[in-house]
Amino acid sequence: MGEGKLIFDQLAAGDRAPERRHVLTRTDIVRYAGVSGDMNPMHHDEIQAVAAGQPSVFGHGMLSMGLLGAAVTDFVGVGNLTHYSVRFVRQTWPGEELVTRVVVAGTRVEGRRRYVDLDVALANSAGEDKVVGRATAEVPAAG
Amino acid sequence: MTAQRPPEGAADKLELESLRGRSVGQSTIVIERGPVEAFAAAVFDENPLYRDPAAASAAGLPGIPVPATFPLAFETWGRRDELQPEGAERFALNEFLDPLVARGALVLHGEQGFDYHAPVFVGQVLDGRSTIVDVYSRESKGRRMDFVVLETAWRDRTTAEPVVTTRMTVIVRF
Repeated sequence: MGEGKLIFDQLAAGDRAPERRHVLTRTDIVRYAGVSGDMNPMHHDEIQAVAAGQPSVFGHGMLSMGLLGAAVTDFVGVGNLTHYSVRFVRQTWPGEELVTRVVVAGTRVEGRRRYVDLDVALANSAGEDKVVGRATAEVPAAG
Repeated sequence: MTAQRPPEGAADKLELESLRGRSVGQSTIVIERGPVEAFAAAVFDENPLYRDPAAASAAGLPGIPVPATFPLAFETWGRRDELQPEGAERFALNEFLDPLVARGALVLHGEQGFDYHAPVFVGQVLDGRSTIVDVYSRESKGRRMDFVVLETAWRDRTTAEPVVTTRMTVIVRF
């Protein structure tokens, strides 16, 4: 039922989706707090975050997963994702540039369905991973 | 501290163990259009499919779809009182975690997973049931970390077909 973006026979391990880059701001973090309902003060109250020993407020893990998810669904087409999971490795900080990495790990056929497996990650511009995970999408049959 | 005392954190560990297999209650939610658009913007996703019914229709979708990680915000926006089944049990994981935080525990979101069984669209009504599916501990550099895994299975209210299952791993560290 999803968008037809990928052509199964043209997918190969190592293929990369276009990168998304975003410089994280405090405003981004506050907006995600409001929209997600995650009002943990470590994400919006700099005074409390510093008192708790953090250098500043930091981004929600789910904000990182959301940004990376946008890169994934752009690549595989909305409606085709069957699995998406990540491990939260490092915090994200205001001022950091975040870069998505979506790489084809392989393709497989199960019955009449065709799938692509992806290695996915979000890192800062220094190459430190923030979230690392896997995604799988069904590839609609080509025309 | 004397040798006879139980190791620090033992009582907390027992409390966490008691969570295993526990039902965390149920919610019925409706997917509303405004929150979907706001959520897409908050994760920097400009795709018109999340905003424009005509774009969704042109892409062959029966309605406005939701971003991949939106299921974690289902209950924030769409849990309308009038939709809840009578006598529905509701239990917040935070009721267990907050006292641990008050005793100095650090609670972290360790992992998050989604299994998508069918696409979700604006206007759909979903029933969700949450269960603590696992609790386990690991030692790392002489410190114990406890892991609590919470799974929520969402089904279409009309067809009872599964649409998405979320799996959250929370880390509790003393």
